[in-house]
Amino acid sequence: MLEVRNISKSFYKREALNNVSFNVNQGEIFGLLGPNGAGKSTIIRIINRIVQADEGSIRLNGDLMVAGDLSQIGYLPEERGLYRNMTVEAQVEFLGRLRGLSKADAKIKSNYWFNRFEINDWRKKRIEELSKGMAQKVQFICSVLHEPDLLILDEPFSGFDPINVELIKNELIRMKAVGKTIILSTHNMKSVEEICDRVVLVDAAKKVAEGSVSELQDERKTGLYSVRFSGSMIAFVNALWTGFEIVDKEIHGEDKFTVRVKMRNESSFEDLLKVLLGEVKIEAAWEVLPSMQDVFIDLIKLESQEGYEK
Amino acid sequence: MKNSLLIAVREWKARVGSRSFLLMSVIGPSLILTLIYILFAFGGEGKQKWKVLVTDKAGLLEHKIITDDDKAINYYFADDYIEIEDFRDGKRYQEFDAMVEVNEKVLSNKVGHIFYRELPSTRMQTRVQYQIERRIEEIMVGEFTDFSINDYLKIKQALNLSFHNVYDPRDEASDLSGWVGFFYGTLIFSFIFLFGMTILRSVTYEKSNRIVEVLLASVSPRQLMSGKIMGIGFAAIIQFVVWIVVIGFGLFFMRELLFPDMLDPANMNFDQFAIEASQKSYADKYYANLEYNQFVELVYERVNFGVILPFFVLFFIAGYLFYGALFAAIGATMGTESDGQQFVIPLVLLLFLSLYAGYFAMNHPESNLTSILQYVPFTSPVVVMVKLAQGYEPGHGYEVYLALLTLLLSAFFVLGIASRLYKNGILQFGHRLRLRHILKWLRST
Repeated sequence: MLEVRNISKSFYKREALNNVSFNVNQGEIFGLLGPNGAGKSTIIRIINRIVQADEGSIRLNGDLMVAGDLSQIGYLPEERGLYRNMTVEAQVEFLGRLRGLSKADAKIKSNYWFNRFEINDWRKKRIEELSKGMAQKVQFICSVLHEPDLLILDEPFSGFDPINVELIKNELIRMKAVGKTIILSTHNMKSVEEICDRVVLVDAAKKVAEGSVSELQDERKTGLYSVRFSGSMIAFVNALWTGFEIVDKEIHGEDKFTVRVKMRNESSFEDLLKVLLGEVKIEAAWEVLPSMQDVFIDLIKLESQEGYEK
Repeated sequence: MKNSLLIAVREWKARVGSRSFLLMSVIGPSLILTLIYILFAFGGEGKQKWKVLVTDKAGLLEHKIITDDDKAINYYFADDYIEIEDFRDGKRYQEFDAMVEVNEKVLSNKVGHIFYRELPSTRMQTRVQYQIERRIEEIMVGEFTDFSINDYLKIKQALNLSFHNVYDPRDEASDLSGWVGFFYGTLIFSFIFLFGMTILRSVTYEKSNRIVEVLLASVSPRQLMSGKIMGIGFAAIIQFVVWIVVIGFGLFFMRELLFPDMLDPANMNFDQFAIEASQKSYADKYYANLEYNQFVELVYERVNFGVILPFFVLFFIAGYLFYGALFAAIGATMGTESDGQQFVIPLVLLLFLSLYAGYFAMNHPESNLTSILQYVPFTSPVVVMVKLAQGYEPGHGYEVYLALLTLLLSAFFVLGIASRLYKNGILQFGHRLRLRHILKWLRST
């Protein structure tokens, strides 16, 4: 769907992006991750043709992107504003028309969204009269009104209240289901785990990693397994013997525990289950994957170490 | 183009719907009308009623002035000679505004004096002067000749040989016409300044509010800027039309209701003056002219709307584009709102310079500098207005078109530069604007 090829961009002496490439596939939610100042917003601005890349190209559906393609893109910037003295209705229609909708279409589609987000009573109100949460809904509507094939959201969850975060998440999942592509730049790793299919991580103007969420987690897994059981802790410890090492435990009640276990001597998950069967009552057992938060921090640390060594 | 229009329409609606726009539509023309009223009222009349004491020891005038139906002036007669000091300080004379001293020698030496406490309006001066002179003439005619007063007046009518420029036989290119042009030029610049500041505020609003990022994902900075300038320009034109209509109606009603005699010499003089009007000499015409309030004439008579208005509109649009682009560029480059205020100062100075250039052109219409200033885009809107009002010499009319073309080309050049600054500056905020930023932004494409 979208190919970002060897993009470089400098703002005078400061390098914002250095030869960054990645692909976004049709119908996926793609996470654009990175610490502050890594260059995420610059990538998004380049895709939106707000700034021009010094080098590299952007292809949309195989063709070099041109200004006309902007009508296929929806954009919710990080620092988002609205005309405070315009009415909700006028604002949404105005921005929809800028994205290529006819007046009639803009009206029909805004009606649909006002109903969907239950803000029909507010359509004639000025933006300055709205609560922050309400304004956030309006901002989201503005970015999706023209039914873009590609939706780019820069920090969509920052500043949103939990109810709106849930609302937006559900909308994104629904849009994905109908084949829309979504690029999400965020610091919120929990959301990344929840809704992103693939991610790219940029740091200090460079791409650090790209892959599906599970791939990245797999690459960084540490061989830890968790077992939740009821029974005697002593029986559990005795059963493990030499093939396993207990890392930590959580006590849920008098005889309920969750224990994290590390494999030794090529022991497998199956071996673990075998030795425990009959000793305690296993309620659940799973492989402990690193959270995206851990993956993120790990990758950034690695990158800065490498940079330092160089 | 479609997007520029959408931006323009939004901007236009935002301006026209705002309270300040409505306020300016009411306050602006009201202020101008009030000013005009004051100038009419005070310039034309001064004190409305005058009491004049005529000292006529010899009894020449026989307690009579040629007319007694001038309601503005009451004459009183004293058969004694009164010292100026007595008249000035004496309690019994305080009620009189002026004293006319008619000496018995007046018939031979033809000298008389009118002493006033407060200098009256030109109109009042002319009336008193005229009325007393005619009365003395009447006595002289009776004393020295057998003519009737009408025959005497025919003889008295002076020969009138005057010089006229063949290119301007009716002497239209006077200072007064220059003022009309200057007035138009001032109007252009008031509007440019007013709406230039609106552009600046609108740009900084979008910038600080960050909606600009959403807009720029749909439109190019050039479209955004030109749409904004267009939209605010339309609002300016609407406001301008409102001003013209309100001021026009105001002037009409002022003439019809408040100052009905303002332009009609027959209305404001006594009967004989009206009879004479048909046969008056240059000197009489001169006095009659003085009776007009010059400002009244300026407003009602001198404005050649047919010629000036179309060029006014054209120069207004071109000048607005030229300065509007500069205002937009300043708005886009600034880091904080106070930055903008500072960088507006040079622009405001330029605007004032252009007004001075207009004033200069009015006083030195033939100077080389004026010819140059009419082509300088910063000053041309005012200077050309002045020159247009004064009238171009035959064969030089092309200068107007050349000046307009130069201004338009400069406006497009400035729009190009400004959109470059706009594009590079609009996404920056919170920085401290320095000249090197501007130079960098100008260089980068």
